Amino acid sequence: MSRSDVLVDANWVEAHRDDPGVVLVEVDEDTSAYDKGHIRGAVKIDWKKDLQDPVRRDFVDRGGFEKLLSERGISNDDTVILYGGNNNWFAAYAYWYFRLYGHQNVKLLDGGRKKWELDSRELVTEVPQRSATSYKAKEQDASIRAFRDEVVAAIGSKNLIDVRSPDEFAGRLLAPAHLPQEQAQRGGHVPTAKNVPWSKAAEEDGTFKSDDALRTLYGDAGVDFGTDTIAYCRIGERSAHTWFVMHELLGQPNVKNYDGSWTEYGSLVGVPIAVGDAS
Amino acid sequence: MSGGAEAAAGQAVAEGCGAPAGGAPIKDAGNQAIVQGRVTKEGAPVAVGYARLLNSGGDFVAEVPLGEDGGFRFFAAPGTWRLRVLAPGGISTDRDVTAATGKIAELEVAV
Repeated sequence: MSRSDVLVDANWVEAHRDDPGVVLVEVDEDTSAYDKGHIRGAVKIDWKKDLQDPVRRDFVDRGGFEKLLSERGISNDDTVILYGGNNNWFAAYAYWYFRLYGHQNVKLLDGGRKKWELDSRELVTEVPQRSATSYKAKEQDASIRAFRDEVVAAIGSKNLIDVRSPDEFAGRLLAPAHLPQEQAQRGGHVPTAKNVPWSKAAEEDGTFKSDDALRTLYGDAGVDFGTDTIAYCRIGERSAHTWFVMHELLGQPNVKNYDGSWTEYGSLVGVPIAVGDAS
Repeated sequence: MSGGAEAAAGQAVAEGCGAPAGGAPIKDAGNQAIVQGRVTKEGAPVAVGYARLLNSGGDFVAEVPLGEDGGFRFFAAPGTWRLRVLAPGGISTDRDVTAATGKIAELEVAV
């Protein structure tokens, strides 16, 4: 897999956004960002309302995903271009989610909404009207999603990458610094996890670093490229960004995102926890 | 700490991981160590841009889009932080700031 299979740049979007079979989708952490302005032709997916089960802590099921994409006018063979703010944080999460349900042609706009905005490219408020489709999803791909028991079993044997900020890794913060620090679970990290903050994979403009720079980043942190990997963060979004880097950009074969992440692990009874800074 | 302070901090953000883009400044920090402020250019709010928080080692900690009023807010830990404002036109401006529990560190950033 090469970068051109999974990434497009802004010029590509401006040249191809009206092509049949190309659908732009904005997925933002700030779910109101789309309403204030978006790339012309883009539809919106709300990471919370659209992608999470409203009752249980889990994703919408296969039928729910089919209904969502059908309503948005997305077909199985469409090329979906995802973008969002904050270095594509939630767009990368949606990318992983689309892959989880078997969508083949999906790419990220490198740099996402931030680079688009900082380059002063056009944003519009007009919402496109797309005809409904009959989308068919596949069963979830268990090879890219990790659950808690796998994480405990991976301690000391697989790469565990904690992609939160150093202060969250150490246990000094329980959430990213733009959210209130009031979670109930314990602070710290999974023993033997390496701390490679997700944001280190991105340049300041939100684009991904080069493959060489990425390999150096993870290699220097102690990640073994010959071993399977599980990435986690607080609720599984930032680690989806790292999953994208490891699996889609660097082509590592066995990489899973643990979407339960610290809000689940840090609340489990009896599991080992380490605190303090990375050595 | 009063219950009102908790409510003030809690109401300021969406549940989960939703980014509180801008929004009304919090008047009472409760038990949080808040860094917040407003970005202006020639006296007018900068509504398109980003505020980024870096730790004392220069590492990215968090980033939020600026609000309609140029506002931003972070819930940090006590200590010294660097705020970086990114805006169209290649603007990148840094400010150092000290956060303390129960306090609001207020910044006015002119770019």
